[in-house]
Amino acid sequence: MAEVSLTCKRTVISTKPVQPGKFCPLSALDRLMERNYLHIVFYYQSTVERNPGELTKKLREAVAEMLSAFPIITGRLFKTPEGHWTIKCNDAGMRMVEARAKGSVEKWLQNLDREKELQLVHWEEMFHKPYFWSTFYVKVTEFEEGGIAIGLSCTHLLSDPPCATMLIKAWADMTLGGKMITPPLFHPLPGRRPGNTNTNHEPYVELIDYYKLSIEKPAPVFNTKQVTIILAFDDEMVRRCITRIAPVESSRTPFEALAALFWVVVSKVKGTKGGLTNMSICLDMRNVLGLDRGFFGNCMVYNKVNGDGIEGNELCKAANGIKEVVRKMDADGIMDLIEWLKERNYQDLPWMNGYDLICVNLEAVDSYSAIFEDNARPLRVSYYIEPAVGEGQILIMPPPAGSRNTFSRVVTITLPEDEVNKLLEDALIQEFSPTILMGLNKMHSSTSL
Amino acid sequence: MPEMLPKFSTSVKLKYVKLGYQYLVNHIVTFLIIPIMAAVSIKILKLGPEEILTIWNSVHFDIVQILCSSFLVIFIATVYFMSKPRSIYLVDYACYKPPIMCRVPFSTFMEHSRLNLKDNPKSVEFQMRILERSGLGEETSLPPEIHCIPPNPTMEAARNEAEIVIFSAIDSLMQKTRIKPKDIDILIVNCSLFSPTPSLSAMVVNKYKLRSNIKSFNLSGMGCSAGLISIDLARDVLQVHPNSNALIVSTEIITPNYYQGSERAMLLPNCLFRMGGAAILLSNKRGDRNRAKYKLVHVVRTHKGGDDKAYKCVYEQEDPQGKVGINLSKDLMIIAGEALKSNITTIGPLVLPASEQLLFLFTLIGRKIFNPKWKPYIPDFKQAFEHFCIHAGGRAVIDELQRNLQLSAEHVEASRMTLHRFGNTSSSSLWYELNYIEAKGRMKKGDRIWQIAFGSGFKCNSAIWKCNRRIKTPTDGPWQDCIDRYPVHIPEIVKL
Repeated sequence: MAEVSLTCKRTVISTKPVQPGKFCPLSALDRLMERNYLHIVFYYQSTVERNPGELTKKLREAVAEMLSAFPIITGRLFKTPEGHWTIKCNDAGMRMVEARAKGSVEKWLQNLDREKELQLVHWEEMFHKPYFWSTFYVKVTEFEEGGIAIGLSCTHLLSDPPCATMLIKAWADMTLGGKMITPPLFHPLPGRRPGNTNTNHEPYVELIDYYKLSIEKPAPVFNTKQVTIILAFDDEMVRRCITRIAPVESSRTPFEALAALFWVVVSKVKGTKGGLTNMSICLDMRNVLGLDRGFFGNCMVYNKVNGDGIEGNELCKAANGIKEVVRKMDADGIMDLIEWLKERNYQDLPWMNGYDLICVNLEAVDSYSAIFEDNARPLRVSYYIEPAVGEGQILIMPPPAGSRNTFSRVVTITLPEDEVNKLLEDALIQEFSPTILMGLNKMHSSTSL
Repeated sequence: MPEMLPKFSTSVKLKYVKLGYQYLVNHIVTFLIIPIMAAVSIKILKLGPEEILTIWNSVHFDIVQILCSSFLVIFIATVYFMSKPRSIYLVDYACYKPPIMCRVPFSTFMEHSRLNLKDNPKSVEFQMRILERSGLGEETSLPPEIHCIPPNPTMEAARNEAEIVIFSAIDSLMQKTRIKPKDIDILIVNCSLFSPTPSLSAMVVNKYKLRSNIKSFNLSGMGCSAGLISIDLARDVLQVHPNSNALIVSTEIITPNYYQGSERAMLLPNCLFRMGGAAILLSNKRGDRNRAKYKLVHVVRTHKGGDDKAYKCVYEQEDPQGKVGINLSKDLMIIAGEALKSNITTIGPLVLPASEQLLFLFTLIGRKIFNPKWKPYIPDFKQAFEHFCIHAGGRAVIDELQRNLQLSAEHVEASRMTLHRFGNTSSSSLWYELNYIEAKGRMKKGDRIWQIAFGSGFKCNSAIWKCNRRIKTPTDGPWQDCIDRYPVHIPEIVKL
């Protein structure tokens, strides 16, 4: 059913010409993510009556202004003599696709699934000659009966989810007020602060080993088709979960609690024996490294959590394991990893999302403050880290409603279809009764379990 | 060292000789009259006052004779003033500034070329070579529909582009001249490649609710020199209609004419033609004499269409795949050179000072009678004009004219910089160039300007203007935000 029809595909140029000869080199963390790409969809309601195409035109003008501050996006991939990717800022522009969809945005959100949602983004695999390949793609879909969806696809080489969200926020600020509140900063990852080296410091071997293994592993097998569901846990549910895990509430964060919960449930659903299933967590290291909010680039680090010997239902132990790893991923540890990556100068490409169950912490991502028109916060924001070829993905995201201190979270789960069915029927999940924002196809909208 | 000095001193001596000769010939009448008047006055002064009175009384003035002579004088004066063509003034003009969002950097153009012409790498290579040497900058503009992959040239999009370009230019002009729509008597719109029904001039009449007895004309198919053809037409119509003004709109609509095939000769226009338009207000009203910026002195049109090669050198046709485009032949520059020579031969006697014309005549006679091997004398047009606006058809055109007319870099600066900033905007490029000269503050009262344009056919048209009043450096206009960056050095080849 062709619900979304393409109007046109074009290239948007920045309003300020880029000075020739500018290059933006990619960091060691960036280069690891070459095989991955992101899809993000922002949904908005219409606030004022507009002619078809009018809002798209306004957005197009704003994006042209915004791109003047992001020469890295309008540039193209280029290999240095050492064989590393860098961006040549040649002012080529960004691809933008315009489309129309039937119905209204609210109705669309009611029966959604992964395939339908991915119709709202546009992506092209890297060309054989990437010098003519746009690294970012934006798709603006106007709903005939009201509402708009903005889909962003980009290569993970240049940006991780928080960075891509920052881009959309900059675009929103430009559309609403004509200037960016957080202008982007382009600089390499910080080095170790001199004079701060602890001579007794042991390098964070486990983290380095994890990356070493990921790089050396062969390509994963693309087997079962995966589906995605989105569950919403409100403040009270999360607090209950935390209490379940630890008697003293404040010693566990919502991320740790929910990550532990899903680790346990997914292991059960997969039927893993002798412990919990292989899981890696992925954390945003911007705060840890002291980076400004406007930092552009990859700053998310993966690490394995050890599930050996933990029985199913031992939520406490699972949460402890996660907490331990989170604690160890401090500035020094990450610096060790970055230095090791720089030294090693590998040429093979890892599949960072290709093996284990990945649990990504996107709590701090500020997606709901991307406001394009007055008083219109996004109705929902969906993230996809592609390709989905590993054991599964769990993304823990902030809730739609405004408050920042609440413990409520939205969790996106990507697993093979039969495992998703089992997960939804699992007793532990049922105990916390989350709201299903996006269920399996054919499932009725917004039912509580 | 000693050899250098004599050369230098001889060249300096030669320069003074030339200057002396020019001054003598150009002011020959003055040089002849002054001695005669001096002699007569001395003669009269020699006679005493009584003698003068006697001579005065001896002349009989019959009443009939007096009446007849005065009638004769009045008659001749009336015939002279009636048959003198009306003076045509250019009150003001406005150029369209494309929105910065429409700009097309080289990298985007080449990327689109590669994506749209996936199966024709040789054609893509060709476009890249053209673009590298084109003299265009990174801020030239194409209409929004051409930014699509693949380009989406619908008729509605073409009309949209026409509306945006033409109405912006006219709005700007009306604001500058404070003219009301109902005061426009003549309307001429020229757009070579887009000619819908109803015409673009009807579109303007509709938008601005012009009078029902307006004389409107729409010129299409006449190429890049159509702007000067419109000026010529307006001048002729204004001779017939006293106390009137004429609105001229010169533009080229790119949307429907973007060639989508892969023939190399037809891809060239895609690399050079860009969005642009201009609106000009001409008037023959006495009241506008003081406020008008320029006075139209001459318009000279040369048409070489009688020659088959010239006729076919810019030819719109279908390529083997059925896609329509404009084929530019390889002889274009040669034909342009010949058309220019033809045009100059007509213009020369109208504008060149007597000194140059005599020199040209002598060398012509010498070549015909004495020695055909003498180099033909190229008159120095720099003596006739202070400013040159050469149609920014492409770098080759400007180079060729600069060489042929022996112009300095500053003379062709307006043309080169317009090509860099706006690309080849076809018939309106002359107005962007004029605006550049004004924006740089180089236009002074009394300056003479030569606008020269080439177009399909093959035509070479010239218009000569004289600056009518002191012109303040404009604070609005297409060059307003970038004039300080110009002139820029344009490299021979821009590496892509």
